Amino acid sequence: MSVQVLFQNRRPDRIATLDEYRRSGGYTALSGILRDKSRRDVIQRVTEANLLGRGGAGFPAGKKWSLVAEDAPFPRYIVVNSDEMEPGTFKDRVLIHTDPHTIIEGIIITGYAVSAQKAFVFVRPSYETSAVILEQEVEAARQAGYLGKHILGSDFSFEIVVHRSGGRYICGEGTAILNAIMGKRPNPMKPPPYPTVKGLWGQPTVVNNIETLAFVPHIIRNGADWFKNLAATENGAGTKLYCISGKVRQPGCIELPIGTRLSEIIQDHCGGMLDGSQFKACLPGGASTRYLTPEHYDVPMDFDSLKAIGHRLGTAAIMVFDHKTCLVGVTLNLIQFFSRESCGWCTPCREGLPYIQDLLWRIENGEGREEYIPRLETMAKHMWNAYCALAPGAASPVESLLTFFEDEVREHISQRKCPFR
Amino acid sequence: MLPDQLRQHLQKVISEAEYPREKAIEVMYEIQKHFGYMSDAAMQEAARLLTMAPVELEELATFYDFIFREPVGKYVIQICDSAMCWLDGYESILEHLCARLNIRLGETTSDGLFTLLPACCIGYCDRSPAMLINRRVYGRLTAEKIDRILDRLRSLAESVQTDQATMS
Amino acid sequence: MPRLTIDDIEIEVPHGTKVIDAAERLGIMIPRFCYHRGLGSVGACRMCAVKFLQGPFKGLQMSCMIDAQDGMVISTTDAEALDFRRHVIEWLMLNHPHDCPVCDEGGHCLLQDMTVSGGHGMRRFSGEKRTYRDQYLGELVQHEMNRCIHCYRCVRFYREFAGYRDLGALQIAQKVYFGRLADGPLESPFAGNLVDLCPTGVYTDKPARFRARRWDLERGPSLCIHCSLGCNTVAGARYREVLRQEARLNEEVNGYFICDLGRYGFAYAGHPERPRSPRIGSQAVGWQEAVAVACDRLARLGPRSIACLSSARASVETLGTLKYLSKRVGSDHFVCFYDAAVKFKMGEIVSKLDGRTAVSLRDIEKADLLIGVGADPINAAPMLALAMRQAQRAGAKVVMMDPRPLFLPCDFEHLSVSPELFDVCLSALVKSTFDRERVGKHGEAAVTLYDRMLSCDPLDASVQARLEPLIAVVEGCRRPIIICGSDIAPASSVSFAADVALLMGEVKDQSGVFYVLPGANAYGAALFDAANGSSFESVVQEIEDGAIKALIVAESDPFRYVADRDRLQRALNKLELLLVLDYLPSETVRKAHIFLPTRAIFETRSSFINQEGRLQVAEKIHSPGTPIWQVSNKGHPPRLYGTGICGGEPRAAWRVLQQIAHTLVHSQNEISENDPWPVIGGECAVLARHHQHNGPLHGLRIIPQTSTAAFFDGDLDLQPKQPMDGHLTLLPVVSTFATEELASYSEIIQRVIGSPCAYLHSDDAERCGLLDCDRIRIAVDDGFLEIDLTVSDKMARGFLILPRHSRFEWQKLHCFAQGLPVEKIGNCTP
Ligand SMILES: Cc1cc2nc3c(=O)[nH]c(=O)nc-3n(C[C@H](O)[C@H](O)[C@H](O)COP(=O)(O)O)c2cc1C
Ligand code: SF4
Ligand code: FES
Repeated sequence: MSVQVLFQNRRPDRIATLDEYRRSGGYTALSGILRDKSRRDVIQRVTEANLLGRGGAGFPAGKKWSLVAEDAPFPRYIVVNSDEMEPGTFKDRVLIHTDPHTIIEGIIITGYAVSAQKAFVFVRPSYETSAVILEQEVEAARQAGYLGKHILGSDFSFEIVVHRSGGRYICGEGTAILNAIMGKRPNPMKPPPYPTVKGLWGQPTVVNNIETLAFVPHIIRNGADWFKNLAATENGAGTKLYCISGKVRQPGCIELPIGTRLSEIIQDHCGGMLDGSQFKACLPGGASTRYLTPEHYDVPMDFDSLKAIGHRLGTAAIMVFDHKTCLVGVTLNLIQFFSRESCGWCTPCREGLPYIQDLLWRIENGEGREEYIPRLETMAKHMWNAYCALAPGAASPVESLLTFFEDEVREHISQRKCPFR
Repeated sequence: MLPDQLRQHLQKVISEAEYPREKAIEVMYEIQKHFGYMSDAAMQEAARLLTMAPVELEELATFYDFIFREPVGKYVIQICDSAMCWLDGYESILEHLCARLNIRLGETTSDGLFTLLPACCIGYCDRSPAMLINRRVYGRLTAEKIDRILDRLRSLAESVQTDQATMS
Repeated sequence: MPRLTIDDIEIEVPHGTKVIDAAERLGIMIPRFCYHRGLGSVGACRMCAVKFLQGPFKGLQMSCMIDAQDGMVISTTDAEALDFRRHVIEWLMLNHPHDCPVCDEGGHCLLQDMTVSGGHGMRRFSGEKRTYRDQYLGELVQHEMNRCIHCYRCVRFYREFAGYRDLGALQIAQKVYFGRLADGPLESPFAGNLVDLCPTGVYTDKPARFRARRWDLERGPSLCIHCSLGCNTVAGARYREVLRQEARLNEEVNGYFICDLGRYGFAYAGHPERPRSPRIGSQAVGWQEAVAVACDRLARLGPRSIACLSSARASVETLGTLKYLSKRVGSDHFVCFYDAAVKFKMGEIVSKLDGRTAVSLRDIEKADLLIGVGADPINAAPMLALAMRQAQRAGAKVVMMDPRPLFLPCDFEHLSVSPELFDVCLSALVKSTFDRERVGKHGEAAVTLYDRMLSCDPLDASVQARLEPLIAVVEGCRRPIIICGSDIAPASSVSFAADVALLMGEVKDQSGVFYVLPGANAYGAALFDAANGSSFESVVQEIEDGAIKALIVAESDPFRYVADRDRLQRALNKLELLLVLDYLPSETVRKAHIFLPTRAIFETRSSFINQEGRLQVAEKIHSPGTPIWQVSNKGHPPRLYGTGICGGEPRAAWRVLQQIAHTLVHSQNEISENDPWPVIGGECAVLARHHQHNGPLHGLRIIPQTSTAAFFDGDLDLQPKQPMDGHLTLLPVVSTFATEELASYSEIIQRVIGSPCAYLHSDDAERCGLLDCDRIRIAVDDGFLEIDLTVSDKMARGFLILPRHSRFEWQKLHCFAQGLPVEKIGNCTP
């Protein structure tokens, strides 16, 4: 097995305790920086480590933190994004159930790095057990002196609260999440101002994915180079939690060097495809990414490599489909998800997605027409002009369906039924 | 209309926040724990505690998936209908649930025990098909497994009822 | 200033101009739904997409979201942009009902326009349409949610702009629903703006529903004359009556919006009992006869025995010609105000409003500190409250001194003090901002006043504590404005407010005083009534004495305003001639010996001067005549035939007055009969300067740049009187819908006003053994008055506050002008 960072304390049946985490070096990063590192040192190290956001967009974490100006007003906040409602994605849940303290330590250090006072960990309702775990372990960390006033005797004080979501995909969007926490309708808010300037209640706020932050203590402890060398590719840095679901023998969430090839993930780490199944396609990073096809089977799964071939790593949630899967059906299902979860703010998403859904439904159910194909194409293209990234995400599977599987779509139309049924 | 104890609890929850609105969802969850759903009267009172206008709270209540503005059963079943569960037999699982409960999606059984709702991806794609019952997850569902779960919940509810009956 | 190129045309625009507005300056109207200049941009509808070819942004972008910048090259006709916009329209039409033929928005529907201009003529979508259930939103606004295209304008206006909290965006995704928690009237007195704002027909004007198609309306620019702000409107008439009013953009006055009083108050003009024929006694007669008899009787009276009364609701034209007439007949009495104190205050106001002190509603929005002195914006001048909210949203602090339990749709600091303390409080607030030397620039009187300010006694501890932190705010602000009422504020405060504003101007970037006046044309009335010693009180006196034998009343109803109605009644009974000209079925009209019907604002071109001295003109919208539904028993077409227009007799008051004047003095030909302005100009030099060939210029302020009147001539009232033990001070005050004279004849408004109610401080209530919501009974000379009580701790102690209500005879309480003994108040709660 490759190097395990976030999962080094993984147990088959329970979460790692605070002591177990400490035994593996936990909280030494925190005590270390409180002793002799400035907030700038922390940001610099994380920037050097090239830690890219794990929430989907791959934005460099260090760079984001540095956008909180030295003289920015107080209080400042951290929002830890654990909404994770992207279909196919469940890494945050597994991470919380594995080693919550690496998350907690990461959040505290991030708080230190941007001189924040408080963090909100935003958890979706179907992860109620995760919320409870976090609450318990935050309390344990507080008892141990890692949270609260004057942490470890320093003059740094910090709080973490667990914020329960009412449950909607859009809440995970980096600005909608702010509205959600403030008890407003979680519509996204187009920057400027950026959350790092005006976020929660108009105060500087850093929004990061929970996995992103979990890496922070390890980077502080082991250094930027160590982190970069963990990757399987030249440009990558660190490991990555991949969640694999679908037609493989052993679906699940595994930690691998970022940039591990797709083929290797499926063959070596998931026991290969199910018996009698052939790899037909996968969504590499959740529902809002583009289908990869057998021709991409060997692609290194990191941000840059996928970008180079016009795809996205997204959340690295690999949803694997076999030759018996109807991709029109899958896409229809995804679009149904997206149109249901649209916040209803902008027209393309609110009205356009149901339109696309209707067209796909007709194709899947034998009512398709040739002219639907160009219409789908144009509408999917226009989704990129929506207000936030939800609609472009929704367009991705549709666009790639038409790019790579147009024949399959046409077959539905010409046979006036789904060929897989 | 809220019992005193619950109201005091809510007041405490709200007082922990810098801004009362921040606790809107949590307050509604706490009320739902008690009543199952947010009635009009509960909305009014929750809004008052949160110093929100009632319609401001309604804006949230009707937005979210896990806030119920209509009465629901004792057990709220939310069955995942997103990609991976759909791929792994969501349709037959749903059919089975409907048949066993004798209701359609969106309905509550006549004994008030079960409400069946659709849910989008609940984050258990590695254990598809999956569903939540009162936010607890049940994965790798099969018809037999569902039968076992429903039977257990039914007898649980019955025993609670007989308990209550013998107590009173 | 950024220069950019849009569709190959270069343009330079001010910083902060959105691209969509820059294009509009070039005459290029980029389609939009969510964008509204009054509300700002949010980028929701995506309709305004254009292609950015060069500059800091590239590709398809929303033109409402991006500020114009140097070097931008933009195409609004780019193929990709066109295609995208066409799709936006198609998407918006997916669920839109095809009910345009019966939709009141039809013909001026933005969605209709876009559908046509975008070329979306054929439906391609074969899915189902979404349907919603509508809500009952009250009597003014009709809800029709199926037509919604989700531009979010309504909630943005209602909540963010106007500050009311009972309308929201509910649900999610395609189901998003705009409405209330439950059926019920919208609480905001600005709700009618939803009708104008909604780009389709979700919110339509309920009283006007199904009564006319837009393109059949006779529409024209008009004014709201229900308060002194002079908001601009567009009135639309059909079948001889105004059916609806909309807000008309005026950047300096009301902006894009008006209040519901202004929108729905018009129905007085079509009142079923509106007197439409000249009358002698109870006998309807022809015009010629009526005027001849009136002239004849007037001629028989000697000079000095005629008095003329008009009011603050009469137009400049009416006032000017009445003044002219009064002079021609040698009358000593030309009166426009019923109350001598109000008249005095108006004199002060008119003399002190000048280029240095007067401010507009727009200036209010830009202020960073607003100090209210005896002003209740929501009730006396609703749009002022909206302007104050905009100031506050931009960071201004709002401080209100007022004994009433004020409500404002924004945060404010309320000093609930008695009017007698206004001078003391204002002095305490501002005195540290000035120094003697700079005050000295304004002369000896200013220094004397300043010294008086310094000498004012400390206030009681609780008020002092509230004031303390505000003093620093006053010191730190840059653009303070004083908002001063003219009813409960004492004369000294009214005058002092202007003095303070002038002094502030010395030390601040901008300052001013914003008066709230008692009527749409109170300023105009004061112009004519200014240098004139007589008051209505003295007129009544002289009638009683027998000196005055005839009273000419033009568009005025003293019965509504005068407290001692019995005395008024007796006095009028003594008159030899009561000649009344009006368009309302008023009590005074009923008592007239000779009555001459006049035209309402919609039926003749007329001008009004608002509270900042701005002269504005309302155009004639339609010809007078009994509304068709009234003569046809609601049937259509009418079955009544005759020559001439039924009920079309009313004439413009100025024409009649001019005619009477000329008949009396036989000087017909010296002055044009078709233009009142030479006459008006002759009566008022200020107005003469503003008279153009075709009447006055709309929208100009007629105030002098620098007033020659003496500022700092008043004295401060620094010794508040001790209230009488066991007495409450009665304070009749205004209330938005219930008080105003014209609106009390508007059937629509009458449908929405609440029941009358009085306010008492909780301490006083306790003293009297009264509870909130009790029904109280006040013993008066000839019986009892009953009214519901509201108990508040947000008002001054020692007052019984009575919002004047058309269904409560507050006048009967005049016997308690010196104070109401608490034992006169009883509890009659069932
Ligand atoms: C519709 C939508 C949903 C999203 N949901 C999540 C989510 O559940 N969790 C998450 O971490 N990021 C989510 N994101 C990405 C966030 O916008 C943001 O990029 C991320 O939280 C930043 O954290 P990172 O830089 O650590 O990745 C979502 C984005 C969109 C557009
Ligand atoms: S794309 Fe538009 S409607 Fe969709 S979630 Fe984003 S803002 Fe809301
Ligand atoms: S007008 Fe620009 S997005 Fe609506």
